[in-house]
Amino acid sequence: MAALLRSARLLKFSPSGLLQIAGSKSTGPPIGRLYSGALRGSETGVCSRQISRTSGDVSSRLGPYTVGCVRNYAVATEQKEEGSAGVRTKQVQQFDWALAKLDSSVRRTGRITKTLLLRIFHDICRTGYPSGNQALLLLRSCGALLPEMPLQERSELAHHIWEKLQELGAQYDVSHYNALLKVYLQNEFNFSPTDFLAKMEASNIQPNRVTYQRLIAAYCQNGNIEGASTILGFMKSKDLPITDAVFNSLVTGHARAGDIESAKNIFPVMKGAGIEPSPDTYLSLLNAYAEKGDLDSLKQTMEEAESADCSLMDRDIMQVIYTLAKAGHQQHIPEMVERLRHERGYVPDAMNLCLRLITLQLEDTAFYILKTFPTLQSESFSDDSASLGNFFLRHCVNIGMSLEKLGIFCKELEESKLHSSPLTFSLSCALDSKMTARSLELMKMLKEQDFPIRPHYFWPLLTQHVKDNNTSGVIEVIKGMQDLGVSPDVETITKYILPVFQNMEAVRQAFQEAGISLESENFWSLEVRSMAVNNLAELCAKLSDPLFPSLDLSAFRGSLIIGFKKFDDVESMVKITELLYKDERFSKGDPAETVSYLLYKLMDSMSEREVQTQEEKLKNYFNQLHTKNIIIPQNIYRGIRNLLELYNVPELIKNINVLVDPANRGPIGNVPALPRTPRTDGKVSALESKLAELIAENKPIASVLKQTIQALCAEENLQRALELKQQHKQNMSIGAYASLIGLCCRLDNLEEALNLKTEMSQMDSSKALDANKYIGLVKSLCNNGRVEEALDLLKEMKEKDVAVNDTHAALFFHMLNSLVAKGSAQTIQLLLDTIFALGLAKPSANLCSVLITVHLERDDLAGALEAMLECQKRYKQLPRIHDIIVGLVEKGDTALLQKAMDFVSQERGEMTMLYDLFFAFLQTGRYREARKIVETPGMRARPGRLQWFAEKCILGNQLEALEHMVDMTAKLFECDRDEMYSYALRLCYNTNNWQKAEALWTKMQEDNIIPRERTLRLLADILKNNGQKVPFEVPETWYQKAADTKEVQQQLLQTAETKDLPTPAENGAGYQVQLLTLCKKGKAKQAYGMLKDADKRGMAFGPAPYDFLIRALLAEGALEDAMVVRDIAVARVPGFHLSDTANTLIIVTQSKKGQTEDALETLRSMLQANQVPGQLAITRLTQALGSDGNLAGINEVESLLKSLSTSLNLSNMLFVNNKALAHIKNGDVESAVEDLEAIFTDPDNQKFSVSFVFKSVLKEDNDKALDKLSAMAERLANHFACYRPATDLFLQLVDMNKLEEAKFMLARCNAVADQKDILMSYVMRRAQSPGQVGKINALLSLIPDFAEKDSLYPYLMKCHALDKDLQAAKTLYEQIQKEGVVLDELSLKRLAGLYRRNGETVPFSEPPETFKFYAAKLKDTAAKADVTAEK
Amino acid sequence: MAAQTKKVFEIFVTKVPWTISFKEMREYFGQFGQVKRCMIPLDRATGFHKGYGWVGFSSEEGLNNALQKDPHTLDGAKLQVQRNRRPFTDQKTNKDSEFD
Repeated sequence: MAALLRSARLLKFSPSGLLQIAGSKSTGPPIGRLYSGALRGSETGVCSRQISRTSGDVSSRLGPYTVGCVRNYAVATEQKEEGSAGVRTKQVQQFDWALAKLDSSVRRTGRITKTLLLRIFHDICRTGYPSGNQALLLLRSCGALLPEMPLQERSELAHHIWEKLQELGAQYDVSHYNALLKVYLQNEFNFSPTDFLAKMEASNIQPNRVTYQRLIAAYCQNGNIEGASTILGFMKSKDLPITDAVFNSLVTGHARAGDIESAKNIFPVMKGAGIEPSPDTYLSLLNAYAEKGDLDSLKQTMEEAESADCSLMDRDIMQVIYTLAKAGHQQHIPEMVERLRHERGYVPDAMNLCLRLITLQLEDTAFYILKTFPTLQSESFSDDSASLGNFFLRHCVNIGMSLEKLGIFCKELEESKLHSSPLTFSLSCALDSKMTARSLELMKMLKEQDFPIRPHYFWPLLTQHVKDNNTSGVIEVIKGMQDLGVSPDVETITKYILPVFQNMEAVRQAFQEAGISLESENFWSLEVRSMAVNNLAELCAKLSDPLFPSLDLSAFRGSLIIGFKKFDDVESMVKITELLYKDERFSKGDPAETVSYLLYKLMDSMSEREVQTQEEKLKNYFNQLHTKNIIIPQNIYRGIRNLLELYNVPELIKNINVLVDPANRGPIGNVPALPRTPRTDGKVSALESKLAELIAENKPIASVLKQTIQALCAEENLQRALELKQQHKQNMSIGAYASLIGLCCRLDNLEEALNLKTEMSQMDSSKALDANKYIGLVKSLCNNGRVEEALDLLKEMKEKDVAVNDTHAALFFHMLNSLVAKGSAQTIQLLLDTIFALGLAKPSANLCSVLITVHLERDDLAGALEAMLECQKRYKQLPRIHDIIVGLVEKGDTALLQKAMDFVSQERGEMTMLYDLFFAFLQTGRYREARKIVETPGMRARPGRLQWFAEKCILGNQLEALEHMVDMTAKLFECDRDEMYSYALRLCYNTNNWQKAEALWTKMQEDNIIPRERTLRLLADILKNNGQKVPFEVPETWYQKAADTKEVQQQLLQTAETKDLPTPAENGAGYQVQLLTLCKKGKAKQAYGMLKDADKRGMAFGPAPYDFLIRALLAEGALEDAMVVRDIAVARVPGFHLSDTANTLIIVTQSKKGQTEDALETLRSMLQANQVPGQLAITRLTQALGSDGNLAGINEVESLLKSLSTSLNLSNMLFVNNKALAHIKNGDVESAVEDLEAIFTDPDNQKFSVSFVFKSVLKEDNDKALDKLSAMAERLANHFACYRPATDLFLQLVDMNKLEEAKFMLARCNAVADQKDILMSYVMRRAQSPGQVGKINALLSLIPDFAEKDSLYPYLMKCHALDKDLQAAKTLYEQIQKEGVVLDELSLKRLAGLYRRNGETVPFSEPPETFKFYAAKLKDTAAKADVTAEK
Repeated sequence: MAAQTKKVFEIFVTKVPWTISFKEMREYFGQFGQVKRCMIPLDRATGFHKGYGWVGFSSEEGLNNALQKDPHTLDGAKLQVQRNRRPFTDQKTNKDSEFD
């Protein structure tokens, strides 16, 4: 949906927006329009005139401020975030994620749902202690961002949040008060501004400009001009600037006071004060007329606004529509709707308008608006899935609109083909909101319209009741089902009815009482189940009844197996089995398979003893099945045989073997191992080339000579180097020549360089210089005007196949750039063309830029432009476009500018062109024009481009341009405002401009922007660096400066020394900070001492420090101390409870200490308190229980977690593995094997890991268990083609250095060698910590070739790097080179690091980028390889 | 890696409207060939299914028939049908709705 909205808007943007002006070219947008009043075609001016007129007219006032924060947000998409958000947010420490979610919902849609907000609020309350910033975000969300909530409720919610968070220790500063004020204004909440100020004062918080502005607005909302004037007086006395926001409020104030003349009179007053009325000022007046229903004045004012160059956006007109509707002047709305231009963001804004109107029960107006939605988007829908108005219907359902009305809307939507299934959709909304009565009504309506009503429609309603174990709720829904003529199907009964009742009898009784019929055929399955466990003969009769409905075996397989085990009625068993085998009613798939699986499950569910005692019965059963011609597939037979082998009943195997189809019946044998693929590697050729090299230079002197010459070259001693060369010409190596040539180029001794090169090639013409030397030579040649030779040299590079990479592109660039001064564009073009044509470098903006630079240096803009156009044509690059456009704008050369713009927009799209122009105007200080550009309809934020310009400003210290950009992008579609402000703050940081920084912070409040923590820290740093007080709570980081630590330590020493005297931090707050700091530094014990000390003196803190300290103590394993602190906290803070994190840590600690019972108890109480334990807690606890042999405990944990509706991302095998270990611990290896085998014979589970079990058993040297487990692993591998356990065991043996045993294992189960993925992942894991290379080598010695060398070597290199073992790394590298394997850059970089660490020079050119870069590159390559493989 | 014991002919279906349960899916795809298994995982928290599912045919023919037809329309909504890349035995979600 979101994507559709977006693409629809872009579609709309390209043909209309920019091209609507008459007289423009059809290929590109008219440049003239961009200069003139952006939205009025009639005013299309000549741009040169416009530039000269406006260039001096740069107003320094800040841009128009927005009235409602909704204006800042553009897109609303229809989303159902609640569903997926639900599960995840519950988890411990997930609230940061949730906040981000909220924030992104606001950034993108301009609204939030109440459910999402409340969920996040509760999470914050439950999980921890809120930061100031989190509080700000929550408070800020309680206003216009909740269009679906009535105004009154919104303010109540804001108050509730305010109080609750304060209780939890959130610290409020002026930004919070300002946010609350904004919420009051948006909610039209009646409050006393003086009381509000008093409240701020009492909290010792200084109001700022924004506070006063909003208080004025509050007075004005009530028409209280006197009150507003008082505040205005305050502002003047404090010398605070009066911005247009104040005047806008005054317009409203006068109008509300009934004095429309004075309201109008504000306009000249403003102008008198040097402030131009903004669109918002006009909007205030328009709203005033709307409230009175004065259509004529409305129209007149709109025209005035237009002519004053204050264009009203759709959003403004929507505000007027809202006001009209609210004041009961619906008759004027069509006039206003006509004025809507459907500009960018129309749909989301209109959606929010509709929602607001519906909330006010003005749904008819809302529906009228809905019908104005562009039908454009339905074209991109296929005609059968139109769904306009989903959001509308959902809100109508949620606010409980009358069914009749809803029906009318649905009908109209469907008839006008705006929505294909409005009623069904409404039903899904009602179901989603668990509105039982409403859902049933809607279903009735659907039924009347001949839609089928299906049993699963009722599941959403039942889900909640089942969760709450609410029998009457379930009965109510089922009754509703019956009334609609729907009988519950098997799924409904088993999943949603039975779970809330004790048994079938209870269901029967309850249903009878409620008057629900039990004749539904689906109840039969329940009957079947109960018969299965009571009387097989009866069951057989029942199933044989031809009237019996179709019922899949899976609905009663469990019960049937119980019955088969329980009774000796073989005759019925055979009959039933035969029936299942032959009658398709009981299988969804192939009946033969169903029955075979039943047999497997039956054997599987029996224990060894059961099978042995029932052997006769089973034998009889199987034999009779054979007489009934029942055949089972080979693979299932193998599974059963395996089970029977385990149970030591070989006789039975024969009986079951006869059931296998004779055609497939093979001997009992192993699955043959897959053939290994032979591989070839480049060893031979590498060796050969090495040999050739050795023969070529068999004089021992050569290497020394080379080193000497290289040293001389480093000293730039050319003369001596040349002498040496002359003396030992015979022993000169290529390397030595190369060094000499490099030096000659550096010294610009071209002739000598060329001589040397000739000499070198005489010696060995097959050898070539490296790219660096070549490029140096080319540069020298060019600089000496010998271009032809330079070109030849480039060709030679290609012929000799000289390796070039990205770094050489930079060298080419410098080479070309050195030619710019000489100024021959042709030479440069020729060289560049040759370089590209030969493929020595890829065309890039950087390389091409030289072509432009050469013209710009000579101030030849036309030439530069031509060159750029040429670049685009040839190489698809637009180098230095910004500089060219800036030049053209500065010169006012409109013809060329138009040409450039046409070209860019044709080649790169209008948006790119507009950004280029925008930046050029900003750069040249033409802010008015820049604003026009950025306000072009259809414009949207391109973060990368905005960042580019911002960084440029930061680098060039252009505060003014940057500030203007921040200001102008206020309404830019999808613009990340916090990001923009942080750019400006970064510049302030660089220049220590704290005044500007503070002003920016105030402005952020005014714009209602929630700063990210990073931004706040930046701001705090600027203020601190300049000795200013930081007026808000700074979000803390865990890494703090060392200086801070010292300070605290010193204070602490003092505290200790002067124990009996009052401490320097006598007040609670100071203490609290010290405590928290100590905790974060990991000095929990000290903090603990401090807290006890403080407690003795009767000091109490908020809940946060206690919780922090408990967590810190637990992190050190100090359980007892933590409990002491908890007791203190409980005594000091009423209602104190540990946070989820603290409890999680307690469980971990208790588990580690072996106090499993206590840990279990902690878990129980956590779950009771509706807390969510961390994954680690569950893992540790389960492991502890496993090593205690406490099976019951593990079962309890497992079932406790099941009640927890959220998945903790636990390992699939956690419980299985630990249960197995518990069995082993209890000496019952058989049960362990039985359980594990049951898991792995299920093909779903064959990839799960049992390493943990093997590892534990190996560690304890439990040979008996190991033998059985090992036998199991082999069985699974050989009979079930499930190789994971065998591979796990093998790797554990390797890991424990039991190589002999590993070798045997491999011999017995050679398929292990083919488990490449598992083996590789073992290597990867080992390569993560130092000292593990031995294990990898051991593995390699056992299975030498399980992986390709090029994927293996990087891990080995990583190991050596971790071990800091240069020698081993060198050996490895040698081997790699010998084998001709290409080592990736990341590994080369690791190797280079090793060399440097040991103070040795790196003998190859180290890859220049960062580790991160190469890691990303590798990942990228791997991902691409995957994709290709998939294709 | 592990030796494939039997061949599966599965399609992965997305954009399944909420009004369709596995029964309707099964019935619909039955026209292309015998359906061996059919699964639409449920979202336990909401009681709605997740909007996608798998249909396994017992023959390659059924699979090809289903893949050849386009569009697949159920309850007025267009289903997206593609060959299943990962066998749905890998999908752990089927614990929620084991219908086979």
